[in-house]
Amino acid sequence: MIYSSELIKGTLKTIVLKLLADNNKMYGYEITQRVKDLTKERIQLTEGALYPTLHSLEQEGLLKTEIEYIGKRMRKYYSLNKAGAAKTKERISELTDFINTLSFLLDLKTKNA
Amino acid sequence: MYQLSDQQIAFILDDISARGIETDSLQQDLLDHICCVIEHGLEENGDFGAFYQTVILTFYKKELREIEEETALLLTFKNYYAMKKVMIISGVVTVFAFVVGSVFKIMHWPGAAILLTLGFVGISLFFLPLLFIFKIQEIPAIRDRVILGLGIFSGSLYFLSMLFKVQSWPGANIMWFSNLILSFFVFLPLFFFSGIRKPETRLNTIVSSIVLLAVIGSQFTLTALYRQAKEATPPVVTVVAPAN
Repeated sequence: MIYSSELIKGTLKTIVLKLLADNNKMYGYEITQRVKDLTKERIQLTEGALYPTLHSLEQEGLLKTEIEYIGKRMRKYYSLNKAGAAKTKERISELTDFINTLSFLLDLKTKNA
Repeated sequence: MYQLSDQQIAFILDDISARGIETDSLQQDLLDHICCVIEHGLEENGDFGAFYQTVILTFYKKELREIEEETALLLTFKNYYAMKKVMIISGVVTVFAFVVGSVFKIMHWPGAAILLTLGFVGISLFFLPLLFIFKIQEIPAIRDRVILGLGIFSGSLYFLSMLFKVQSWPGANIMWFSNLILSFFVFLPLFFFSGIRKPETRLNTIVSSIVLLAVIGSQFTLTALYRQAKEATPPVVTVVAPAN
């Protein structure tokens, strides 16, 4: 089952931050492939969602970038800076709390039903 | 694994640009991404053209421009498009006001001052500051942002000082000279030495620096000519006829 983009949208920044925290530096294509592999293709990041997110995180001052030239084309590696590492912890803690609350809420609803 | 040629890479870049991806860094990100997909997905003797057309379709729902728009929306603000419109309109109005205002001024027709003021104010207080807001989103390095800011500030000051000069308002000379000094001794060296270090911007930096140097040099010459003309103007002698 592939999750809907609506479900992924709210957690995309956290997913990207966590991947960068675990993998030092990554480029866009690598991120999409890693997510695909780790989730057994249940989560597929679209380019239309990934790049706006990466650019937004960069603008928020959470990422640093490195350019590598591959022949005539340019590869941009993204990695966390200090602020990004702190933000990742904060985001994961928030998301964990949210998941707990959500499962509690849904359990309650199931029981009531 | 498929090996992309330089021509194919250039083709992809041109195509994504034509499909509405304008921001440099986003273009480069997408170019690398598409190249990776093709290199990993296409067989060595595969059909590049057909495969590319299939790949590009997976990048969007309606059109590729969506990625640019979504990025712009996240990077700037909700009123991004309104601001972009204001920037374009102020640019067009400025050019119109400069051209028509100059013709009016040469012909000594009424309205020249209003048109020229509109042009100078439009470019220095609307067009250039808005251009700065949009451009700074594309530049991550603080040093490059400072250089952009200095360049835009210098440009705005240049047009404002021209407005003051044309209208003979006080302070025009101070603005004119301080801008010449700022652009020649601060902006130009920073721009040149920052750009020349990177191989990908070296040539552009040299060419742009020569053009900027020529412009600033011509402004120095204009200043000198203006002073000479002022000094050479004979004093006005009023002859009063003797009363009979």
